[in-house]
Amino acid sequence: MSLLEVKGVQSYYGHIHALKGVDLTVGEGEVVALIGGNGAGKTTTLRTISGMLRPKQGDVTYAGRSIVGMAAHDIMSLGISHVPEGRRIFPQLTVRENLDIGAYKVSNRKLIQERMDEGFALFPRLAERRTQLGGTLSGGEQQMLAIARALMVDPKLLLLDEPSMGLSPKFVETIFDIVERLNRERGTTILLVEQNASMALGVARRAYVLQTGEIRLTGDAADVARDASVREAYLGG
Amino acid sequence: MELGIVAFVLTNVLVKGLLVGFVYAIIALGYTMVYGVLQLINFAHSEVFITGGVVGFEVFRILGPSPMNGYLKLAIALIAAMIVAGFLNVLIERLAYRPLRNAPRLVPLISAIGVSLVLQDVIRFLEGLAGRFNLVYVLPDVFTQRAFGVPVPFSTAIVPVQGKDVIVIVVAILMLVGLTYLVNYTRLGRAIRAVAQDRTTSGLMGIDANRIISLTFLIGGALGGVGGVLFGIFFSKVDPYAGTIPGIKAFTAAVLGGIGSIPGAVLGGLVLGLLENLIGVLNVFAQVPALGFLKSIGAEYKDIGAFIALILILIFRPAGLLGRNTTEKV
Ligand SMILES: Nc1ncnc2c1ncn2[C@@H]1O[C@H](COP(=O)(O)OP(=O)(O)OP(=O)(O)O)[C@@H](O)[C@H]1O
Ligand SMILES: [Mg+2]
Repeated sequence: MSLLEVKGVQSYYGHIHALKGVDLTVGEGEVVALIGGNGAGKTTTLRTISGMLRPKQGDVTYAGRSIVGMAAHDIMSLGISHVPEGRRIFPQLTVRENLDIGAYKVSNRKLIQERMDEGFALFPRLAERRTQLGGTLSGGEQQMLAIARALMVDPKLLLLDEPSMGLSPKFVETIFDIVERLNRERGTTILLVEQNASMALGVARRAYVLQTGEIRLTGDAADVARDASVREAYLGG
Repeated sequence: MELGIVAFVLTNVLVKGLLVGFVYAIIALGYTMVYGVLQLINFAHSEVFITGGVVGFEVFRILGPSPMNGYLKLAIALIAAMIVAGFLNVLIERLAYRPLRNAPRLVPLISAIGVSLVLQDVIRFLEGLAGRFNLVYVLPDVFTQRAFGVPVPFSTAIVPVQGKDVIVIVVAILMLVGLTYLVNYTRLGRAIRAVAQDRTTSGLMGIDANRIISLTFLIGGALGGVGGVLFGIFFSKVDPYAGTIPGIKAFTAAVLGGIGSIPGAVLGGLVLGLLENLIGVLNVFAQVPALGFLKSIGAEYKDIGAFIALILILIFRPAGLLGRNTTEKV
């Protein structure tokens, strides 16, 4: 059984039909990439899974249980962390406070401190800046903080929305390294949305290609990477 | 004019101004906290606060004849006022604001004004049933003579400080310190700030924003309740309509300090309290030949002067004294 199943999901923004029937599954312990051009509906798919958006049609199940219609804060409590598009760091909270907020659902103070230390070990840059306000971090540092914040609950399923956006090539590599390590060392299941298709297909086992609200192609990441239309559209020929 | 008189007048302004200023500050916090999480001006807060004043009146009235310690009576009055005003505020949010959460901004504002008017008449009706219209505080003796059992040190000829004045300041400062600690150093406080800064993302952190909003109304309302009791103690009485003017002033204080900012609300309250008391005594200086024109500025100019000052400050610092001058969504 898959950890996450999205079945025939249709989502709207007012009258805009953003998802026109999306089906995808993510198995426990997998890294799955979701790629596609601008406006394809990748962000909308993640929002629908994490409860920020309620689909008009279709079902989302997590660990065998339907989570459609649940509030985002309840879905999160099931073990799904969503690193949203644009990082959404709390600008007037310090780095530390952002991490504390990430651990809002964790009551064991010792555990919170342990995970915070883990986060700082993962991103030493954040450790140096723990008392700095989130809004004053650089884009790359905010991205690190967004990921570290999502890890404060040690999620079973991590939804990552374009973690490489706006980062220097070196940062991008760091971020993908961490994605791989999380999956390998902690067994975290990851659904990775990316514009940087070549990187994403490098770390993912399977991939889905989304186009104007529909899944166009799916399969093993290596096969998707070899597909002629994908190469042309997303991998630069 | 005599230097002694100037010193007397100015010391009086300082003491009275700080006293009223602290009361404004406590009330202003209710406006600023609610604004912080919902970007809504809770116009009903003036009635929530005066409800606290009425509860305080009732406690002192009922306990009046009892030989109970005066400070115990005060504690009961404060706690009762906090509970009633706090839950009233929560109820108001549930019934009048939450259903309008996604409506255009003006709509809940109108709803707030409506609630405010309704509450005034509910209070009038309830007290009227008992035949009470002017709610004069029956204060324990200790409040009017001595402060915490000892005669007030400089309460001599210079400034007549009463025990109740010290009580107002001490209670207000305790509340301010407590709130500052709560907001800055506790899990709940962090959640309140997170919801204020980005409600959607706070949901992704597992925060139930509606619950946090309710708690914010509870805290803001409870502070308002304390403000009402202090107001009643300071001015010796309240009435169902007495919330309006201090409510507007506390709101002014919140804007003056920078709406949404907690230290701003405190600073705004103190500045406003000092300013209006200063304006109230300006005519004393009319004896100085060059300042003769001040003769016509009587105490009744207090309010107007304060608001003119507000307008001037906001022209030069639109975000308020401690507000952030940014367009960023807080
Ligand atoms: N808040 C919104 N209101 C209205 N339309 C929206 C909103 N958010 C997204 N859309 C529309 O929904 C469609 C899918 O958007 P989505 O953000 O899911 O795309 P995406 O694949 O994440 O694109 P990108 O790679 O540019 O982030 C687009 O046509 C977009 O214009
Ligand atoms: Mg997107």
